[in-house]
Amino acid sequence: MIAALAAAALAAATAAPVVAAAPRTAVIDLGGARAYSHADQASPLAAVELFVRAGLDRQTSRQSGIAALVAETVLRTPVDPGPGFGQAVPLVDAVDAHGASIGYVVSAQHVRFYLEGTPDGLAAAAPLVARALAGPAFDTATIAAARAVLAARSADEEGDPRFVGLQLLRSSYYRGPAGLPALGDAGSVAALGPADAKAFFARWYLRGDAFVAAVGRTGDVTDAAGRALVHALAPGTAPAAALATRPFGAQPKRIVTHRDVAATYVVLGFAAPALGDRDFPAALVLRALLAGVFERPGATTLPPVFRAAGTLYGYDAAPAQLVLWINGSQLDPELGLTGIDTLLKRAAAKPLTAAVLSRYKETARGAWTLETVSLDQRAFAVGNAVAHGLDADVTDAVGGAIARVTAADVQRVAKKYFQRFDVALVMPRATEN
Amino acid sequence: MSGFSTGLWAAVSAALLVCGAASAAAAQDAAAATGTLPGGVTYELRADRAQSGAAVALWYRAPAGGFDAPAAPGLSRLAATTVSASAPISGTPLAQLVERFGGRLSVAAYPDSVAITALVPPDRVAQTVRAMTADFFAPVVTAPGFAVAQRDVGEDALLRSVEPDVIEDALGAALFASGPFHDGTLPTAKLGDVKVERVRAFAERAFRPGNAILILAGNVDAAALKSVAARSGDTSPRSPEAAVTPAPATRTPETEPLQRTGVISGSGLGWLGPPIADERGATALDFLADALFAPRTGMVARALAGRKATVTGKFVTYHDPGVFLVTITGDEAATARPIVEKAVAAAAAPMAPEAFAAARAGFVYRLLAAMNTPAEVADTYGWYAVEGDPAYAPAEGGLQGRYFSLAAALTPADVAQAAARYLGVPPAVVTFAKRPPSPPKAPA
Repeated sequence: MIAALAAAALAAATAAPVVAAAPRTAVIDLGGARAYSHADQASPLAAVELFVRAGLDRQTSRQSGIAALVAETVLRTPVDPGPGFGQAVPLVDAVDAHGASIGYVVSAQHVRFYLEGTPDGLAAAAPLVARALAGPAFDTATIAAARAVLAARSADEEGDPRFVGLQLLRSSYYRGPAGLPALGDAGSVAALGPADAKAFFARWYLRGDAFVAAVGRTGDVTDAAGRALVHALAPGTAPAAALATRPFGAQPKRIVTHRDVAATYVVLGFAAPALGDRDFPAALVLRALLAGVFERPGATTLPPVFRAAGTLYGYDAAPAQLVLWINGSQLDPELGLTGIDTLLKRAAAKPLTAAVLSRYKETARGAWTLETVSLDQRAFAVGNAVAHGLDADVTDAVGGAIARVTAADVQRVAKKYFQRFDVALVMPRATEN
Repeated sequence: MSGFSTGLWAAVSAALLVCGAASAAAAQDAAAATGTLPGGVTYELRADRAQSGAAVALWYRAPAGGFDAPAAPGLSRLAATTVSASAPISGTPLAQLVERFGGRLSVAAYPDSVAITALVPPDRVAQTVRAMTADFFAPVVTAPGFAVAQRDVGEDALLRSVEPDVIEDALGAALFASGPFHDGTLPTAKLGDVKVERVRAFAERAFRPGNAILILAGNVDAAALKSVAARSGDTSPRSPEAAVTPAPATRTPETEPLQRTGVISGSGLGWLGPPIADERGATALDFLADALFAPRTGMVARALAGRKATVTGKFVTYHDPGVFLVTITGDEAATARPIVEKAVAAAAAPMAPEAFAAARAGFVYRLLAAMNTPAEVADTYGWYAVEGDPAYAPAEGGLQGRYFSLAAALTPADVAQAAARYLGVPPAVVTFAKRPPSPPKAPA
């Protein structure tokens, strides 16, 4: 009786799912560039993300870190916060004083400046950001301050074996500067000076290649902020450029490194379908399968340090890359590698059973939905789609596409993308010898 | 499956049903975002249909170390995780169900409360509500679930042992003579002695519907309230039960600091603050904590000028009293402490108007930014509801709500007055000395 009641309630619940009232993205002409506005009027905050086509692939091979150094210099540029504040302070502090925050991310093709605040804070901070973007302080002191911040951030990332492995595999996969470390390395950044930064900025920070994603409490404030940021850039466009990758060998390439990490991590890098590719939804199902295959039953969602395996899907670039890491403190690396190899060969050889397919489609769909819960994630989703020439709302459509994935789709994707890979071994320094 | 779960299974089967019909009336009223369901479950529903995800959370007032002496810190987390890991009537433990939905499940234990939060896609809210309420309102405790939970508690303790968290936890023992704040939330060896029977007894007492606060936030619909499970007979509205957490007993700060050893070294300073009912005072101390201790731009961060020390500071709005907690860790923690104390003492003088305006703008933004996701919004409502003043939750009403209206009305004099009153007395002090790192033993 109880079971019947429970089943009836479950059926009722699944028969009438809550339908997401997905807000559509509006396109706004900023005069020479566009803003893609994705509103959430229930949010008390508003944000704009400026995409500038000045990412890693715009560097030369001897300029590793210049993209990040220029972006960081913009944040360190002294600006006058306004009446009553006294002397000029670095942009990042001036923005803070108005009730907002600014940060940036360097990816293979873009640098993204994310400005978020209360509507009043955003209105006050955007002109300051525009001022810094119009004329960053490429003097020795500001560059040195930017260099110090990059060094600290790099040191932090070096302590995470997943990101160490990811970087090694990115370098192995992408040809040219697109595969260089996002923040450069200590040696290369130290060699970069004001002239390098100034030249990089002048050549690539151009209005014609830029656009804005606006999220949260959008409206006049975000329109004005987007306009201010875009118009701070010099007019013009730069030649388009596509990312190129290296083919995988018949045998996995093995890259070994020793770092100050607590346990050995085995990290596998695969070519993966890009956002918008017809194989992308099936690759997300396979990702869910790979990430979950070694997991023990838990009482809560485990933090990465206690997970046996996990994935990082770099769909901010096209071609994309999927990285799978195995945590040696939770699972014997050799066993893990063998297990993954077996699983991928089986997935390519025969279709998943209906039960397994259904199970991992559900996980993939939910995980995808929850990749865009914060404002910065939503801004990235909109902007990333636009950057790849896709509809700004393509993220919303991916969930439905996952639901339509068939066992044949997963098998095809396993065959096409997941049979060849490179391997990075990130080992504790103590095991160096 | 062990025998001890069988008896309970029968009891649960007889007592529990999903209250689709029973709560229909309540659900119709759910346009009002706050209410009480049959069985005494209080709910807070805050929908944002533009959100991609949804949070389903259950909050309970319950002491972290249990209801009975001797206290076993960590017990509330152990009980909540045992329930989430145990296979219920439906056959799938809550943790596995949420994982299957592609969601995330977390359990957070505080001295006087415990929270279970699931972040799930919108079309799985109803199922999550049904499973979570069914599992917790009539908790099933199994041996495999207990074993999984023991590991979870051990891992959580390991993570927290390398964070300033461990110093904040110890400050409770310096500020209070007894009660849940004194006992803390981090497991001690006593938790290893806890048997499954005590976990079950705790779960049955703490996780009753009448002690529950259900929070739905993000892309949710009032119809999800129809999926709340109820015990048979719980068809008529009932008031929520009185809090079950004992009132804390404060202590006079000792002249000598409380000495502890741990994986990290450093010190902690603690003061008693206003109760949640003193909303103006509590808001002033929230503001002050941010102005002093905001990373990079706070007064303390600037005064430290690059020293190798990590300083955190927060006001925690408990029912009565609140607490102001500061931790100082890192290689230069010892030299940083006088700088911190000087900055705290200086807060008794009013800030210059421009600096105050900038600090307030930063405070308001940072607080709003910390309520960005559905799970964070749910946390805010849960916390303030558990402590007895949900209308004062910062997420309520946005910038026009009660909390931010009070923040907007603060003056430099108000803040200085609050600093003088609450932080002008000698703090309770905890010092942590480093011992060779060794992972804490998982209980049992």
